Amino acid sequence: MNSNHSIRRLMRHENTSIFLVLLFIIVAVYLVELFAVRGGDASKVAFVKPMNISNVLMQISTTGILAIGTTLIMVSGGIDLSIGQMMCFLGTGMAYLIRNKGFSEPAMVVTAISVAIAFQLLMGFIISRTKLEPFIVSLGFMTIYTGFTYLITNGSEITISEKFTFIGQTYINFPSGLRIGLPVVLLLLLTIIMWLVLKYTKFGRRVYAVGGNENAAYLAGINVKNFKLLLYGINGLFVVIATMALLSRTGVGGPLIGSGKEIDVIAAVVVGGTALSGGKGNLWGTFIGVLLLGCISNALNILGVSPYWQYIMRGGLIIVAVLLSYWSGLRTSSATVSVRKEQSAEIRDGSVSAS
Amino acid sequence: MREQLILEMKGISKSFPGVKVFENFNFDLRKGEIHCICGENGAGKSTLIKMLSGAYAPDRGGIYFDGKKVTLTPHSAMQMGIQTIYQEHTLFPQLDVVENVFVGKEITNGVVVNRPRMVAKTREVLQYLHSDISPDDIVGNLGSGQQKTVEIAKALIQESKVIILDEPTASFGQTEIEHLLDIVRKLAQSGLSIIYISHHIEEVFKIADRVTVLRDGRKINTYAAEGLTEQVLIRDMVGRDVSLFYHREPVPAGDVMFEVKNLSGNGVRNASLFVCSGEILGLAGMVGSGRTELAELLFGVKTATAGEFFVKGRKIEMRTPLSAIMHRMCFITEDRQTTGLFLNHALDKNIPIASYTHDRSPLAMPADDARMARQYVDSLRITTPSVFQPVMFLSGGNQQKVVLAKWFATQADIFIFDEPTRGIDVGAKEEIYRFMIDLLKQGKAIIMISSDMPELISMSDRIMVMREGSLVAEIEKDKISEENILKHSIGGSVQ
Repeated sequence: MNSNHSIRRLMRHENTSIFLVLLFIIVAVYLVELFAVRGGDASKVAFVKPMNISNVLMQISTTGILAIGTTLIMVSGGIDLSIGQMMCFLGTGMAYLIRNKGFSEPAMVVTAISVAIAFQLLMGFIISRTKLEPFIVSLGFMTIYTGFTYLITNGSEITISEKFTFIGQTYINFPSGLRIGLPVVLLLLLTIIMWLVLKYTKFGRRVYAVGGNENAAYLAGINVKNFKLLLYGINGLFVVIATMALLSRTGVGGPLIGSGKEIDVIAAVVVGGTALSGGKGNLWGTFIGVLLLGCISNALNILGVSPYWQYIMRGGLIIVAVLLSYWSGLRTSSATVSVRKEQSAEIRDGSVSAS
Repeated sequence: MREQLILEMKGISKSFPGVKVFENFNFDLRKGEIHCICGENGAGKSTLIKMLSGAYAPDRGGIYFDGKKVTLTPHSAMQMGIQTIYQEHTLFPQLDVVENVFVGKEITNGVVVNRPRMVAKTREVLQYLHSDISPDDIVGNLGSGQQKTVEIAKALIQESKVIILDEPTASFGQTEIEHLLDIVRKLAQSGLSIIYISHHIEEVFKIADRVTVLRDGRKINTYAAEGLTEQVLIRDMVGRDVSLFYHREPVPAGDVMFEVKNLSGNGVRNASLFVCSGEILGLAGMVGSGRTELAELLFGVKTATAGEFFVKGRKIEMRTPLSAIMHRMCFITEDRQTTGLFLNHALDKNIPIASYTHDRSPLAMPADDARMARQYVDSLRITTPSVFQPVMFLSGGNQQKVVLAKWFATQADIFIFDEPTRGIDVGAKEEIYRFMIDLLKQGKAIIMISSDMPELISMSDRIMVMREGSLVAEIEKDKISEENILKHSIGGSVQ
């Protein structure tokens, strides 16, 4: 009875369906590769080799760190389309400073963090002080960042050979051959920290409150304007951390490094169960969403699917994942409604009257 | 007589779940007359309009138009020539006057719209109405009096036979009112029939040919305006069923807890009031008289342009709801769904949220939140499967209790209730009254806005009446009566 109960609770947990989808995809990819590509020889399956797992984790680390900030913004009811282009701008700018302007690594890091936060605060200021849609405002900033990036490089890439390698090229090696890079550790650490913050602090509760009902939040004593401003500032911090991880790993800054990232990130966050309307979502859902999309594109590469088809399959997957969470949401709602009906029937019968 | 009637309602009944609004209701409208409808908030005026405009269908009884029995839908009502001009504007603000008055009835040459003819016709109608509005003006740029004129022009263009005006002068200045009354008289003289609904008793006496008084969905009387006196009208409007009243236990009042002096802004003019601990100050007034706007100023939702705030005799600054909460105030708003609750969130997330301001710790432990929620679920007897239930699945009464729990948790001393029992059933209503009395016993102070006359009269220790943004009267406990409140709310020559 008790274990039955906890299984039911687990099934109703908001991340369960997306987690099951992830498991299904992993098993499916393994089986497809095993029988269709490797002719049943399990030792040749590349998808589960430690080297491949290390690569997948490294590849998702950038998206994952960006997705933490985006989850905060989206749970509070906002959206930020500018993160991909901001990443291009910051990455190119950092490469330019260290390569052409002779900045030391710490000076470059401090400059980048300040610039990222300042720009996000400016955007947050406009969004929180006006009734303008964050969608449109961030679209404007996205284009501005593109312009800045091209102004810095004239369109070419800047390589920073052998500089700023600490984040990207520090690894923890496991005996099995698994190599976990520092960006992956950062992703896990930041996810855990922000999960704790969202769950156990007043700040976290207020993120949900502002996204759930802005009017009610204001009447409950939350300074909604400043709060939103703060969230965009924090988002800037996550963008700059993600950019540093990427720059340090690849050693290249240029107009393409973050191009289209906002789509991947928003897709992962939505797949992870965050509502576009705000007030709902959590960071483990986002983490699983990032992992899911990462696995899919890796698998498609291994299976030799054409990159053009990959776009179509990824798009379709996003829609399927959102549909699944929509259906599971409907199921929980109808379950709770029937519980309420039972309860009120009990109360009418007088069986709970002494409570 | 009969051939003179344009519209007739016979034996109309209409109920909504749990409430019977109309019961065997009869009404008639003559050709070329101005027929005014009077009644308190909740007397059934809006329901009447909605049945005539086709928005609601009566459960029983018949509506006759020009002697023929008809079934009204919003579309057929307009086709027949019944045009309703609602209190709030229903024009398209981005479009110009011509496009608005001809909407759905454009003059065309085949498929192409013939704008010059429409402009000419609009100009003609506007001249007839003595209006200086140009046909090319964008409606959104016009004042509210002018917009009302455009709506009337639209009714004329659409060849209406009956025009229903619902509180047409709600946001008007005196000259605009006079202008509108002139237009209405002129329309009636030309043979149109007008149903005119107004809270303003002066207007009624100025233009009515006949007056019908509604109370609790019944027609009390229909009078010829000639010879009718204000006393008779008010006597008919009051006199609610005694069984609707709640018998509350008296609580002795203490010192002044909260006071404002000369508060202005947000549509409120120069309002001063105070409330003592252990006391309920009722705010009466017709819908739209500015009571909610005043409450918003009191709680810092909107910033006052002038005025002073005092809590327990000490002057305070009121900037935002946060300052109000810091001074132990709370505001139970009239619309719990849009301003009171986080509907998608569970009880354990709704109830503690306003209390977070009261200590400096940055932490909010889910276990503490759940414990707090459970405590209020027990003490307020909220019916819910668990504290992890999203509040959208609760009934109206239980939702209202969640809002109360949220504010009780802040340990507030000064409570502002705006329509505390709107849309909740009788049992929950009495429970809420009991909670309010408990608050008084703990020495809290309550300001209560209510359009429910029995509620206002039975709960209030003292009542202040609001009209057109001003507090116009203060009524002590022993002088509180429906008649007295109504006299002040609808104006007129009060002795």
